[in-house]
Amino acid sequence: MDWLLDYYNFRIVGQYWDTFMLGMFTTMWMSGLCLILSFILGIGLALARMSRVGLIWRTAAAYIQFIRSTPLLIQIYLVYYGLPMLIGNFFEERATGIIALTLHTAPYMAEIIRAGIESVGKGQIEGAQSVGMNPTQVFINVTLPQAISNVIPPLLGQTAILIKDTSLLSIIAVFELMGAGLLMFSETVIASESYITTAVCYLAIYVMMLIFSGMVQTKLGGSAWRTN
Amino acid sequence: MDTLVEWFAAKWAIIDSLSPFLAQGLFVTFKISVIAIILGSLLGFVLGVLKILDRPWLRRFINFYLHILRGSPYLVQLYIIYFVLPSTGIEWLSFDSFTAAIVSLSLYTSGYVTEIVASAILAVPSGQEEAARSVGMTKFQALFKVVIPQAIKLTVPPMASVYVIVIKSTAILSIIGISELTRQGEVAIMRMPGDIMFIYLLIAAFYFAYCYPVLRFSKWAEGRFGSIGNDGH
Repeated sequence: MDWLLDYYNFRIVGQYWDTFMLGMFTTMWMSGLCLILSFILGIGLALARMSRVGLIWRTAAAYIQFIRSTPLLIQIYLVYYGLPMLIGNFFEERATGIIALTLHTAPYMAEIIRAGIESVGKGQIEGAQSVGMNPTQVFINVTLPQAISNVIPPLLGQTAILIKDTSLLSIIAVFELMGAGLLMFSETVIASESYITTAVCYLAIYVMMLIFSGMVQTKLGGSAWRTN
Repeated sequence: MDTLVEWFAAKWAIIDSLSPFLAQGLFVTFKISVIAIILGSLLGFVLGVLKILDRPWLRRFINFYLHILRGSPYLVQLYIIYFVLPSTGIEWLSFDSFTAAIVSLSLYTSGYVTEIVASAILAVPSGQEEAARSVGMTKFQALFKVVIPQAIKLTVPPMASVYVIVIKSTAILSIIGISELTRQGEVAIMRMPGDIMFIYLLIAAFYFAYCYPVLRFSKWAEGRFGSIGNDGH
């Protein structure tokens, strides 16, 4: 095994094992939290985008277009410097990062959820109304569950993008997986071990996501439901 | 009222003095994104065509490549190409920052394009290929003269949205010191630290001016050429 040490010194990586595990754990819980928050915000945004009131849907559409046409890095900077100006120095970096990522992911979620809502058959809604449900009940009990299950694959794809996007939070000094790699590099100055280990950890999360999404799709619709 | 006028005058002075500077950055962003898009699309096209040929080991290899690209953040890919490859000691892998930017972005683009090209070719009805074969074309003639020309149309809308992703990713290049739009903005902020928010909004406006038309084109093209259905994004 000694020949490998010239290319990839796994003994040094072993010393940083705890750092990388902590980084991986942080990346996972932060993206999980962002996923939940942006999903909820995304439902609200999708409804606002589908509203018939001009002011509401135009505002939602403008917000969605702004987020889609500007880089995440700029959005992170805007939140990082803007939030303290608006409400004072109230949040630490991690919370700022979660807010920025949520604001970034919600419009993408909203567009996916909107496509899902539009895919629900009219008969379903009429049926629900005819048994006496009010509009809120129809939405929560009939439209939304079918809308979400119709768009599970793109939602999972967006989640994979979200996990990768958390790496940009290392720029505003949030400690996560990328931060673990940067920390190791700044202490040891060996690029290959630091960054290849980071990449392998991200790939490990990605493989977990692949297995999980395979399970979800099989459970929801049987193996025939998988298109690719 | 007067304070409002003063406020506008002050902001206008910033826009006026920074615009040439930021426009220069936007030009670098434009240049890098166009080069990366062209190289990445060429590589992605070749890989996409190779992927649909009936060669299991080739397909497995390309899928592995795609998983590696899709499973790691662009930031990590950039660090590996800029910092790790030179440490291998192989001379032609020691890129300067501009080459590293182009190489990493092209590879990143090729990951998306491969998937789009492969699914567009598969979306062309199989009767087209069968008809071409039945008039005596070889498999390759059928692919290049009949199937791919039809598939290209289908790739236009998803390609345009991939290009927007690539353009936005160039912002990350500011980290390795390329003087593109974001970096130019950061330099401007060092000169005028009091207007940090306004300058970032100005940078956002420049990106918006570049990306929004491409997004609109993607939407228009989807109505014009149709969508593959599952564009993977």
